[in-house]
Amino acid sequence: MTDLIQPIVNGILLGGLYAAVAIGLSLMFGIVRLINLAHGDLMITASYLSLVMVEQVGLSPLTAAVMVVPMLFPAGFGLQKYVLNRALRRGPEPPIIVALGISIVLQNVLLLIFSPDARSIPANVAVLAVPVTENLSLPVIYLMGFGVGCTAIAAVHVLVRRTRLGRAIRAASEDDETARLMGIDTEYVHCCAMGIAVTTAAVAGVLVGMTFTFYPHSGPQYLLIAFGVIVIGGVGSMTGALAGGIVLGLAQLVGAHVFGPGHQLLCGYLVLLAVLAVRPHGILGRANS
Amino acid sequence: MRLSRQPFTIGLIVLLGAAATMPLWASRYWMLLCLTFCLYLSLAQMWNLLAGYCGMISLGQQSFIGLGGYTPAVLSVYYGLPLWMGVLCGGVTALVFALLTAVPLFRMRGVYFAVGTWLTAEVLAVAFSNWSFVRYGMGIVITPAYQLSLTEMYYAGLVMGIGSTALVFLILRTDLGLTLMAVRDDEAAAQTVGVDVFRSKLYGFLIAAFVTGLTAGLIYLHQVFIQPYKAFGIDWTVRLLFIVIIGGIGTIEGPIVGAVIYIVLRQVFSEYLDVSLLLMGAVAIAVMTVAPKGIVGSLQERFGFEILSSRRT
Repeated sequence: MTDLIQPIVNGILLGGLYAAVAIGLSLMFGIVRLINLAHGDLMITASYLSLVMVEQVGLSPLTAAVMVVPMLFPAGFGLQKYVLNRALRRGPEPPIIVALGISIVLQNVLLLIFSPDARSIPANVAVLAVPVTENLSLPVIYLMGFGVGCTAIAAVHVLVRRTRLGRAIRAASEDDETARLMGIDTEYVHCCAMGIAVTTAAVAGVLVGMTFTFYPHSGPQYLLIAFGVIVIGGVGSMTGALAGGIVLGLAQLVGAHVFGPGHQLLCGYLVLLAVLAVRPHGILGRANS
Repeated sequence: MRLSRQPFTIGLIVLLGAAATMPLWASRYWMLLCLTFCLYLSLAQMWNLLAGYCGMISLGQQSFIGLGGYTPAVLSVYYGLPLWMGVLCGGVTALVFALLTAVPLFRMRGVYFAVGTWLTAEVLAVAFSNWSFVRYGMGIVITPAYQLSLTEMYYAGLVMGIGSTALVFLILRTDLGLTLMAVRDDEAAAQTVGVDVFRSKLYGFLIAAFVTGLTAGLIYLHQVFIQPYKAFGIDWTVRLLFIVIIGGIGTIEGPIVGAVIYIVLRQVFSEYLDVSLLLMGAVAIAVMTVAPKGIVGSLQERFGFEILSSRRT
């Protein structure tokens, strides 16, 4: 029983990172009812960008993150403005397909540039751990992931609840047409929200890059995790994202501990499928979406 | 402007005749191309049946493809069952799997359904790669399939390609086709006028699963080697999506045109696999933002003709 404590603690900490992966996706889904299927790939792109900064330019991982994260805001903004908004005007199906198209393009661009080899961002913190008891130690990188995840959630929460832009975002997500009648440029709001979403994905991407190895094709795996976090935690709910992340983190790490490491992904997916089967719109989701 | 149907009918008969006699006059290369075309056409018609006519954007066709491929592999290699029997069993396995997953999946709508189907396929991929019976991720070499001649494969593929197209054509002329399109256009309204929404979606889903499973059996007998992450990979659905979107979603001719374009691109970029996928993604984005009805849909809109009618409007 005592050896279960370590995977439980790690699972909870991993949940913070997963929440960071998911909040951007959740924000966008709340507004445009679109699961951005390229979310995971945008995240992995940020991982590769920081890898370049660390390995080629010689920056420390932290400086690299500070450089890379702001770069992705305009990328997300532009993507929404020139590609996704156009598709959204065409009805509900084109955006799904366009987002999948973006995902494929990103994956293959990364594959062409970086080859299919496993990579990770070299960081000293990745091997450190804080010993707590004989059987339990806290990996520093997981603690960082949890901390940054919670910070990112709090930041997005404040932004959505307390600022003018946040109010416009909420208005657009509540009722697009009425928001436009009130003088809100909802397409511009979508662009800003997408910029924020991709920025949070970039933060998560740098963390994931330091914590795990990644490949050009890692994006979809994280997309599915992020989707799971939203399904369990509820669309647009920031605290729900943390809860969802922890459930999935626990499912994966405890599952891996009990059934062997090969079953880590499987356990996460099965928990998610079970939740989807019982509550097809998520535990806290809105039934009409 | 309404074009006469006669030239198209004659053209169709000539084409079918040419295809049926191909082993007599064509080289191996052209037969292989035509075989690949037919197999992709069949898969694409089934994805189109779901996405274009039932309004169910499935990102999980690879579930049926993997099951349809693994079943004949296991049955023929481990139990010595005849290959064609194995292919049939593969279709049935996919059908049963569709039946089992339909209830939870149909509770999901739109993008939830899309990701739900994808997730199901991922579960199968991970499960198969952890399963000693199917030799984990190493995959199975379907040695009995070596004895198949290209001509046999060719005719089997041709039957699937033409058969699946004819099947969709026929379904759209039955009550099922009408109810499916009604559900796609407005589920609530369809239910109000007495359509059994669940049952019609289920029929569409089961048909698509069965034919996809059968076709996948042929594909893997042809490839001779099956591996979980390839067989259950999202790449399958990406290719089908490309074919159907380019050609024109919700039209019967769309997958045909799309499959031709796919095969041509595949040959042109055969040495640069990454570039071809990249290109497909870019083209799918471009088509969806500029002409979301695809080539066939845009042409129909412009000239108002239909070769195989009962299209989606």
